[in-house]
Amino acid sequence: MLFVEPRFFLFFGVVFGLVWILRNNLWRKRVLTLASYVFYGAWDWRFLGLILLITVISYVVGAAASRYPAADRTRKLALTGGIVASLALLGVFKYFNFFADSFVDFAGMMGFSAGSVTLNLVLPVGISFYTFQAISYMVDVHRGDIGARRSFLDVAFYIAFFPQLVAGPIVRASEFIPQMDTARRWADVSVRACLTLFLIGFIKKACISDNIAQYVDVIFADPSSFAASQVIAGVLLYGIQIYCDFSGYSDMAIACAGLLGYKFPANFDSPYLSANIQDFWRRWHISLSSWLRDYLYIPLGGNRRGNGRRDVNLMTTMVLGGLWHGASFNFVIWGFLHGIALIIQRFWHQLVARRVPAMGLLGGFIGGAVTFYWVNLAWIFFRAADLGEALSISQTYLTWSSAGQNVLPIAVWPLLACLGLTHWLSHRFGAQEMIERLAPNRFAVTYGAIVAIAIAFVPLGYRPFIYFQF
Amino acid sequence: MSERGIVSRLRVTLVPCVIGAATFALVAGGFSLALRRAAPVPDMNVLSPKLAAYRDHAADYDTVFIGTSRTFYHIVPDEVETAMEAEGCQRPNVFNFGVFGLTGAEQDWLLGQVLGAGQGALRTVVIEDPLPEARSLDDATNERARFFHAPSDYSATLNSISSFPESAPKKVFRLGIFGAGAAYDLSGVGRAAEFFFPAPVKPAPYAMDMSADGFEILGSITSPDIEARRKDFVDHPEKYDEALARYGAASDEAVESRAVYLEERLRSLKAQGLNAALFVSPDPEELDRTPRVGVELARIAPDLSVMNFNRPDVYPDLFGRSLWFDHSHYGEEGARKLSRLAGAELCRDLKQSDAGGQHAVR
Repeated sequence: MLFVEPRFFLFFGVVFGLVWILRNNLWRKRVLTLASYVFYGAWDWRFLGLILLITVISYVVGAAASRYPAADRTRKLALTGGIVASLALLGVFKYFNFFADSFVDFAGMMGFSAGSVTLNLVLPVGISFYTFQAISYMVDVHRGDIGARRSFLDVAFYIAFFPQLVAGPIVRASEFIPQMDTARRWADVSVRACLTLFLIGFIKKACISDNIAQYVDVIFADPSSFAASQVIAGVLLYGIQIYCDFSGYSDMAIACAGLLGYKFPANFDSPYLSANIQDFWRRWHISLSSWLRDYLYIPLGGNRRGNGRRDVNLMTTMVLGGLWHGASFNFVIWGFLHGIALIIQRFWHQLVARRVPAMGLLGGFIGGAVTFYWVNLAWIFFRAADLGEALSISQTYLTWSSAGQNVLPIAVWPLLACLGLTHWLSHRFGAQEMIERLAPNRFAVTYGAIVAIAIAFVPLGYRPFIYFQF
Repeated sequence: MSERGIVSRLRVTLVPCVIGAATFALVAGGFSLALRRAAPVPDMNVLSPKLAAYRDHAADYDTVFIGTSRTFYHIVPDEVETAMEAEGCQRPNVFNFGVFGLTGAEQDWLLGQVLGAGQGALRTVVIEDPLPEARSLDDATNERARFFHAPSDYSATLNSISSFPESAPKKVFRLGIFGAGAAYDLSGVGRAAEFFFPAPVKPAPYAMDMSADGFEILGSITSPDIEARRKDFVDHPEKYDEALARYGAASDEAVESRAVYLEERLRSLKAQGLNAALFVSPDPEELDRTPRVGVELARIAPDLSVMNFNRPDVYPDLFGRSLWFDHSHYGEEGARKLSRLAGAELCRDLKQSDAGGQHAVR
């Protein structure tokens, strides 16, 4: 069930009505948890058992944390066991085939013959997201950031809450669970802000991402047949596609949660307007990057143990972040390219930037352009079906040359310029805030007109969100 | 909260909702209609290649059969031509314009296209009673249905629905589906996307072998649907007998207005100086409806030509089970047999018409 499908609107309408009709907070949580399971079961009801198992693990670890003092060994063992069990489930479903195949390949290279043990496992939608949320609960309870929940329903509701269940944002337990304790008040819901955010997310996903996806698909399917300008444009289009797809989903998720009275943190902040790669990671998939920072990079030692160790920690975090997206060397390379960029930027900052005068706006522009170019280079590995395809496209992207002659049936560079300008203008002038601040009747007219035009731009046939596969 | 408070709160909530919905309807409808004008006629399988072939050779054809898949798979132009010649008519050149699932609005549009492309050669048009309008949302929202949900087609669709012989609840249901289809079309979903973001790889247009002047032997080109229908026919011989048993059974679905609906179309063709006839194809699944429509039309308009073949008592040779490919379509042998009969009967009707006499109620 996608956020842009009519059946989701029907589903959400029923849930929305029920939640606000009910006065009792406990019943609201029951309805929302049940609705979340229905939402997830619409994809594949068999994996409801997996969510329940992860919920049970989280609940038990939380209960252990509340029973034993902070320094107690049993408490630490419970936490370790809970994290290992959650990651093991993630590993089996997501990484087993990858590591088994890699082992067979490696054994073959060493001259040994190893039989293939690949399992035909279906990847449960959103497993990476709810596993990380479960870990967040266990760690936050262990650290004492929040108290363990005595109610199993609370843990189940936190892990399964449908707006963020399948593609985030990854909401920290310490951010979300305190919101459960009191009944949400309709008066606190900023309806116009939520509706505007939902519409913006809808436009990003259905009107932009889904339309340009067809051009990205043909270019990545046969890059050598296209002229270099088209391949480069195709790579940039993919950068826009994945941004609009994922941030569109996040916007809609945040808006849906908001309409039900719950606040989610922002997940994107115009990342392609970043001046450098570090800035990019403060603005792209914020909930994952901050999760990795707080639950991986800092526990690894962060930047507290010298420059060398810091760079190793950085690279480890980025490569594991890449691997989190999927079991493929392409994702590892994607993480590696970002890790390299972050290390180079720190090096630049320490050795060069401090010794040359600041370049102001021009510096920001050059930094932004280089960052955008590098981020899109990394996206090639993220999108390509295999390493060979990624290398072929990267070569054209970096050398600006291709033997192909095909061109897309649209004026792709003006389209890119148009999308870029719209992005900058809406960021610069706060389009979202401008709409949500309108008086109710003007808001209604504006909203109705934008929805009418947006619907005409929705291509027939739905494309799943890219991040559902993670 | 006081009653005044509730009313005030409702007003605050409802007024913007109504304004938003009205704005949406106006903008979406206007935008959709503007984009519809700019959009080309979509590629509709069978219909598009037939129309293109007919336009290319309109000067060659003087007789056109327009109808549903019963016309498509049952009218063999060569057989009709030979039979007409044998009956003493000048050998015509027949074009089979049978199209799967042809509805009333589609038939009216197709008649307009055929007449528009006629180039003076066209002398005879034989039409079939079109099928009822969409029965499901899928039928009402596909590309072909969207094309025929233009506001200019509303009246033809409503005429077809209101005249179709079926119960009032079924008509209401069909009106609901039509309303949903029209709303879907007016919402403009996907129109701008198709226009501003053209597909990088366009699907090849539907191609058809036109060497048989629009006819195709059912089963010569197969599909899962065709295979399933054939299998059901082979596996369930009892269904065929049950269908035949329905012939002549009492029915409370009135056919008078459908006969009037068809009469209007035939008279309109005649008013343009053309010979016009109604072709009621054998179809066991329609034995409780189409024969009665044909009889009723012949009763109210005895001067019009009605070739009512869906009558096992009058044409028992057309109802041998071996002639059928599935429950409502012939195989090749059945099609050839029917076409010979149709050619002979059409010729007799034309001669009678030229003589100024009335047709016998057959």
